[in-house]
Amino acid sequence: MQPAERRRVAVARVEPVGAYTLLVLRNDGGDVGRPGQFFMLQAVPEPAAAYLPRALSAAWADEHELAFLVEERGAGTRALATAGEVEVLGPLGQGFRLDEGPALLVGGGIGAAILPWLARLMPGRCNALVGFREEAQAVCAALIDADTEVVLEPVLVTRPLAERLPVAASVYACGPGPMLQAVAALCAEHDVPCQLAMEAAMACGFGACYGCAVEIDGEWKRLCVEGPVLEAERILA
Amino acid sequence: MPDLRTELCGLELAHPLVNGSGTLDALVAGTLGLSAFVTKTVTPQPRAGNPPQRIAETPAGMVNSIGLANPGIDRFCEHHLPRLAELGVPLVVSLGGWSREEYALAVRRVGALPQVAAIELNVSCPNVDTGCISIGTDHAETRALLERCRAETDLPLLAKLSPSVADVSSIALAAAEGGAAGLVLINTVRGMAIDRDTLRPLLGGGGGGLSGPAVKPVALHAIYHSHAATGLPIVGMGGVAGAQDCIEFLAAGATVVGVGTALFRDPGLPARIVAELPALLAAGGFDTPGQVVGIAHRRDHEPQVELEGAGR
Repeated sequence: MQPAERRRVAVARVEPVGAYTLLVLRNDGGDVGRPGQFFMLQAVPEPAAAYLPRALSAAWADEHELAFLVEERGAGTRALATAGEVEVLGPLGQGFRLDEGPALLVGGGIGAAILPWLARLMPGRCNALVGFREEAQAVCAALIDADTEVVLEPVLVTRPLAERLPVAASVYACGPGPMLQAVAALCAEHDVPCQLAMEAAMACGFGACYGCAVEIDGEWKRLCVEGPVLEAERILA
Repeated sequence: MPDLRTELCGLELAHPLVNGSGTLDALVAGTLGLSAFVTKTVTPQPRAGNPPQRIAETPAGMVNSIGLANPGIDRFCEHHLPRLAELGVPLVVSLGGWSREEYALAVRRVGALPQVAAIELNVSCPNVDTGCISIGTDHAETRALLERCRAETDLPLLAKLSPSVADVSSIALAAAEGGAAGLVLINTVRGMAIDRDTLRPLLGGGGGGLSGPAVKPVALHAIYHSHAATGLPIVGMGGVAGAQDCIEFLAAGATVVGVGTALFRDPGLPARIVAELPALLAAGGFDTPGQVVGIAHRRDHEPQVELEGAGR
């Protein structure tokens, strides 16, 4: 019942990946949970302008390292990308259930960050569709070890998805809210099993602050407790 | 070693650290070593809360606009309270409402339950338009609310007050006159964040409540003056982030100290504060937290430690 202890870990390496930054933390055997779960990360020392930790799901993780693809949006993420040490709380929340059989990974923007781990855990049975606003963001698609189709705006990732549906695979999706709504609707239309990893601003990550409410099952519920991975039908009105 | 045991309005607490209402779901995360659990505010009817976005980070803190999301008193009493009672710490149930009679009905109901040790009357939530804070920012309404609720239970009633008034100590005095056994100071400070892209209010509720280290001086001022005005036991909170903050809140006049926003960053914080408090008390020459309470008001107190950089 207790949330995991916060622990301070060293940054093993930081690499630019196009528009994003790959932040690899030394794990030293800590629990990594499963893809889609998340960690609260805070740079040490914390920047004056970022009092709260940032919720990020791992790009991949094992006993040796925790890797995160970071999109610098403000002081907190900028500090993470230049940190020497990071306070880590997690894994938290509900991750992906890995189904048997073929998998179709669908990512939009920084949402593609969590797909490499899924591809690693389901080798040889993953295809991926990822969409980005610009070329520099699309560089991260190379981290996904799968047969990957990349689209750039104005083409949205839902276009190739619609072309492939119905598909004999389970869909695992992560991206902006409107994209996930569209993915959920398309999969429901074709009766394809679909899990979504959603995003919301979080202060705590363990159910305390009620800040991350999103509409789930027709009501505002805490994403950190119910998700961040949800069965797609739970967000369809 | 100093003894941390603390008494608050007849409640025997293992130490003086509790949570602020609405800053912990003990059914999800446990009690984290706190000596009592204060529930999120419960209202007569269920409330979905305010639309997202509900939180915004600010310098040294955050603004929230949760909007008293809660399951309503029926579901709370039937489903939540029995499980909270298994946590093994005294339970303080926080109640909110839109009229004196609503509070009174809720107090009668909750006050009759054996699992409940004390009741907090939240008359200070900044995220609702009517009731609640409009009661707690008015002297006569506050006094009348406490008098009305006092008639419904023998349990201690703690009035949780807003600092967003001209003089919180005068509201505290009105609560004392109405029969409050103690005070909870402070609720969040009314605040707002503007979205840097749209230049519109960032939070779904428009405004919100500011918390975190940014409000600590506001909290200390409210506690200091309310202690002087009423002499009531105070649960002091607002920006507490470590053991030294606890000592300062006790000195200002708090008997018990609450953590909230700092808990969001680090659920290990309460255990660390409780571990550090004895040595900090001992360094000041204190045997109990109680010896520190209100010491900032005393002119005869001679500090035991040389204060660095204080020009001494």
